[in-house]
Amino acid sequence: MEYCPVKYPDQFNQAISKNKAIHIYYSQAIPLITYIDESCLYLKEKKCRICEAVCKNNAIDFNQTAEKVEIKAGAIVLAPGFEPFDPRLREDYGYGKFANVVTSMDYERLLCATGPYEGEVLRSSDLKHPHKIAWIQCVGSRQVTPGGSSYCSAVCCTYTQKQVILTKDHDAAAECAVFHNDIRSYGKDFERFYQRAESLPGVRFIRSYVSVVRENPETKSVTIRYATTADGVKEEEFDMVVLSVGLNPPADFKDLADKFKIELNGHGFCQTDPVNPVETSRPGIFISGAFQGPVDIPESVFSASGAGSRCGELLTARRGDLARERVYPPERDASGEEPRIGVFVCHCGANIGRIVNVPEAVEYCKTLPNVVHAQEQLFSCATNCAGEITDMIKEKGLNRVIVAACSPRTLEALFRDTLREAGLNQYYYEMANIREHCSWVHPKEKEEATRKAKDLIRMSVARSRHLEPLMEIELPVNKAALVVGGGIAGMTCALSIAGQGHEVHLVEKETELGGTARRIHDTLEGLDVQAYLRDLIKKVYRHPLIHVYTGAAISDAAGYVGNFVTVVRSEGRVFEIKHGATVIAVGADIYTPAEYLYGEDERVMTHLDLEERIAKGDAKVTNAASVVMIQCVGCRNEDRNYCSRICCSESIKNALKLKAINPGTDVYILFRDIRTYGYNEDYYREAAGKEVRFIRYEPHDPPLVEAVAEGGKSILKVTATDYVLGKKLELDADIIALAAAIIPAAGARELENLFKVGLNPDGFFKEAHVKLRPVEFAAEGVYLCGIAHYPKLIKETVSQAYGAAGRVLTLLSSDTVTASGSICAVDENKCISCGACIAACKYGAIEFRETPLGRKAAVNPVLCKGDGLCNAKCPTGAIQLKHFTDDEILSQIDAALLEEESAERDQAVV
Amino acid sequence: MNIKVPAVTGMERAKERHAKSLAGANFGDVLVAGGGISGIQASLDLANAGFKVYLVEKGPAIGGHMAQLDKTFPTNDCSM
Amino acid sequence: MDTEAPIREVIEEIKESGGDAVKYCYQCGKCDSVCPWNRVINFSMRKLIREATFGFPEIDREEVWRCTTCGKCPQQCPRDVKQIEDMVALRRIANAYGVTPAFLKPVRSASASLAAEGNPFGEERAKRADWAEGLSVKPFTEGMEILYFPCCFLSYDGQLKKVAQATAGILNQAGVDFGILGAGESCCGESIRKTGHEALFKQLARENIKSFIDHGVKKILVSSPHCYHAFKNDYAGFKVNFEVVHISQYLGELINEGRLKISKEYHKKVTYHDPCYLGRHNGIYDAPRGVLKRIPGLELQEMEESRENSLCCGMGGGRIWIDTKMSDRFSNLRIKEAGGLGAEVLVTACPYCLTALEDSRLGLNYEDVIQVKEITEIIQEVIR
Repeated sequence: MEYCPVKYPDQFNQAISKNKAIHIYYSQAIPLITYIDESCLYLKEKKCRICEAVCKNNAIDFNQTAEKVEIKAGAIVLAPGFEPFDPRLREDYGYGKFANVVTSMDYERLLCATGPYEGEVLRSSDLKHPHKIAWIQCVGSRQVTPGGSSYCSAVCCTYTQKQVILTKDHDAAAECAVFHNDIRSYGKDFERFYQRAESLPGVRFIRSYVSVVRENPETKSVTIRYATTADGVKEEEFDMVVLSVGLNPPADFKDLADKFKIELNGHGFCQTDPVNPVETSRPGIFISGAFQGPVDIPESVFSASGAGSRCGELLTARRGDLARERVYPPERDASGEEPRIGVFVCHCGANIGRIVNVPEAVEYCKTLPNVVHAQEQLFSCATNCAGEITDMIKEKGLNRVIVAACSPRTLEALFRDTLREAGLNQYYYEMANIREHCSWVHPKEKEEATRKAKDLIRMSVARSRHLEPLMEIELPVNKAALVVGGGIAGMTCALSIAGQGHEVHLVEKETELGGTARRIHDTLEGLDVQAYLRDLIKKVYRHPLIHVYTGAAISDAAGYVGNFVTVVRSEGRVFEIKHGATVIAVGADIYTPAEYLYGEDERVMTHLDLEERIAKGDAKVTNAASVVMIQCVGCRNEDRNYCSRICCSESIKNALKLKAINPGTDVYILFRDIRTYGYNEDYYREAAGKEVRFIRYEPHDPPLVEAVAEGGKSILKVTATDYVLGKKLELDADIIALAAAIIPAAGARELENLFKVGLNPDGFFKEAHVKLRPVEFAAEGVYLCGIAHYPKLIKETVSQAYGAAGRVLTLLSSDTVTASGSICAVDENKCISCGACIAACKYGAIEFRETPLGRKAAVNPVLCKGDGLCNAKCPTGAIQLKHFTDDEILSQIDAALLEEESAERDQAVV
Repeated sequence: MNIKVPAVTGMERAKERHAKSLAGANFGDVLVAGGGISGIQASLDLANAGFKVYLVEKGPAIGGHMAQLDKTFPTNDCSM
Repeated sequence: MDTEAPIREVIEEIKESGGDAVKYCYQCGKCDSVCPWNRVINFSMRKLIREATFGFPEIDREEVWRCTTCGKCPQQCPRDVKQIEDMVALRRIANAYGVTPAFLKPVRSASASLAAEGNPFGEERAKRADWAEGLSVKPFTEGMEILYFPCCFLSYDGQLKKVAQATAGILNQAGVDFGILGAGESCCGESIRKTGHEALFKQLARENIKSFIDHGVKKILVSSPHCYHAFKNDYAGFKVNFEVVHISQYLGELINEGRLKISKEYHKKVTYHDPCYLGRHNGIYDAPRGVLKRIPGLELQEMEESRENSLCCGMGGGRIWIDTKMSDRFSNLRIKEAGGLGAEVLVTACPYCLTALEDSRLGLNYEDVIQVKEITEIIQEVIR
């Protein structure tokens, strides 16, 4: 790499910085190997070959040719992703012309520690920090102008908010302006995120699209012009302009479709089944991720699991035939050895290294007792660094390993695996978090941060001396699943699991299956939901492996991953179900409005009521001369600080239905932001085309609904301010439909306790990880799908249900699960049989047992989850959590105090 | 290309023979095209559920667009 | 704040008059951010559209008549709201209601003259060919190569006749077998149509079409982009299709074919102003530049606002007849932009632009800084 004479715009860094023709794609790349790209002089002009000559390993072979490999497969998953919109295609944004107009992908790299300026946000024109930055939303999206896309790209509003927050992290004084037309924070926890961004000082959200006017020839700053309703058009200069570019189909979509003989939709994305976004037009070929259209990461992830489950249904008969077991080297017994500690201090690109003096920390480690090796690493999590750790364990005979890097939450598992690869018990691994706990929170105090990093490492060293090897237990897996909730989510999930040969117990609290979908008659795409539901219910009842319990309640749930025991009461019977996996798909409820005369005037109804009455052909509704719909009733407020996601689409669907029945009906939709994300934007425009009139209101000035007596009749009047007109509009309404919030299911709290799962602040079930584990709970073996997770459209529910099934199968297709070695154990000599620990344990893992020393507390190792609650209650310290013993923790605390004392001593000497 | 597998389970020998006949010839259960977050997740799930997966990526490394992101919303977790 | 209820009848009327697309507006404000009016005064197309959506158009106010139909906002509108058609619809309604505010007086007299004499100036139809006196320009007869259609402004306007004359001279020099219709020619009707006088437009169009057919016209050469637009796009509604060529295109053809030889150099810094109706409305950007680039010595510089992004002169959409305060004219900005670039000549290819830019040049006292010329005037100088 050093010798390569070519300097070529680095593609990973959006061509902002340069790289060599031979290079590593990025420092955490997998596989982490150098490769030669198309800029190579030899490949282009048959010149150079310097790298070939200098490579000592003769690893470079210019004679390599493309190899054709034929792979036979039973199923195919296409996950080609998306292509960011290229604003060069449209001159009006100044991209490619003005140096300081960048795309959001460019900006993402600028923010990143591995980016072109190592995490410094700089302007390419003068390498100075921009202080005043504008974001322009909907670049390439929500437009019927040639070259643009008519759909909403669904992710840009929120990624822009993220970039604003991160910009303020980089430079607290930065001035940020976001120019938009509707903020679409429709996802789980997005509304709070939006508020967080909006409330930062110096941040403005301005409702206007803009034009990029000119570049200042001297300063290279960019002037943009925007419209306000109060003061007309304004011009403002910004140091940098970020274009929030949308998501286009993958570049080679036509070729891909031809090759795989699948159909595309009008936008160039994959034409999927209307209710199942992972299903293509061709059997056996599934898709996942953004090839279905613009989606965010969680949807990409669960659609991937869903595609996996669909493949599994197809290929279940040969599951395991070609699989190979992973083999680790035999474990070395290091229990008798003197601790030999190795410390690896990670730069995390610049995340840590820019603040903490890593070389100094490494030198410091070498002074600590029992440390026989210390070194720095750029990214400890990169494959080459993990390899280095394995090598060092063997070379230096290490029997304790500390990685001083980030939070154990994501990477502890990886490093434990590294130890196993080196033949060391994985519980000899210890992690010091010098990123979240140090460099990220002390970006301005470099010296102190370095001292704190040393403290943290010293504490880890002290603890690691006491670490003991622990054994993990293999537990058998019961091959059945329990699905709680018989709506579309639960039924779809049950069918997919059963379709892969597993017994499923489907529990529904109502006397009929169907859930919320029973009240839904069509989708925007025109699917007959009731027919679909009937078919689904039929399939569920007919499936020999699915046992349905209706009118059922769960009275008790015990057990653990792979071995749950749940007590169900149904139709007067009470029985126990044994199952290996649990899926929570209990759906959600609809808010009963207290606003806008709901419950007082029968002409005021919810959007779902309206849908039902349209479906029934209720003349009061279908003959109405004027229908007014009010959005955001009961949410996006202090009581329920979230967006119910589906209501904009629901109201537009009803509006289109009404217009189809009677084009003369006046339909008004009063909204705060229209959130027809993705393809539904097309229906928003269609509704506008059918003369549905949209009127925006502000939360501080909501519409006024009154029943007024006029000419002996009672007339509903709705008055709302229109900000563009600068007038109040008065609308007569025959029907008012309220977009009532979707609220958590009534029984959610109860299930939370029964299954030891969590709820988010809004009361919806909380997944293990928003992005990466969207369909499972932190409690192992318990999964989640449908609107119990968060309000969503039917197709999203179906995709998530398959996703949950896919995750369930990764569990049920194994014969055993591994339980952590970090569990509690009782020192019978110290136990005084008080039972405090038994009362504290949420898992029922402790019981009294007769021992030669008398009645003593004993821990059932498979039930213990290692939360340590019992430890705190035990008056004698008899019960201890392995891997977090008093010795281990106290030595760590002592080590923290040690340095403070010596620092004080140092000061005294001075 | 939908390969039909003998439906009679429990015929261990047939199964073994079948597995052997497939093992040599670049035979996988599933081909996943695209190594972004979605392709990776699909591959991991399928492999963990007992299938042999070929993951094909056109670029020099897996990770896709997500690898280029700094943090992810709404938790601002590191993308890597 | 006023409270009003939507007025259904007016909404229907706007729809029937061609303003149906207002319903698509999602009020993003893009139109306001690109509108040239907002460079000089406060003006909101977004508000006009919103008013139309609920049936509250204020048709007696000048706002409705401001749109110069430059095409900038419809070009960028994400919802395809068709602002030009919408504004024309409102003007049609205003005419139907007989709304007559003082600022529309010149439009009224122009339309009366157009109806009577086929030109907006109150001039006699019989004098339409007077500009060609002594230039050996023949009346058009069937079988001639091309019909030259100079437009009302080049036929009657004292300042602009020279352009028609230069064009005739060039055509003769190139040996083109061309003719004119003289009194058989009427105004193309493009601009009066934009003021909402649809019936008058149709009358003028029928007169021209009849004249073209009677004379066996196949190919028409125009000097005005407005005529070009009318013949090419508006007349297509009458199910006729003539080959139309703009002088900037035709000059290029003549040079390429070797019929027109450039014999002199032109040592000046020149910049080109794209007329809205040639550029944005009809996509002709390269032809005039191609001609200028063929002239040796000529140094062509581009203004920041060029091609698709060109700034309107302010005269389209019937504004040619409505008085715009000197300080509110877009053409002032244009003259300053061209002057700022160091150009000695500002070239264009539209009689309206020419008029507006020349007015601004004089009004701003830029006489010594820059000249305003039509493209044929330069060609005329370099071919003799």
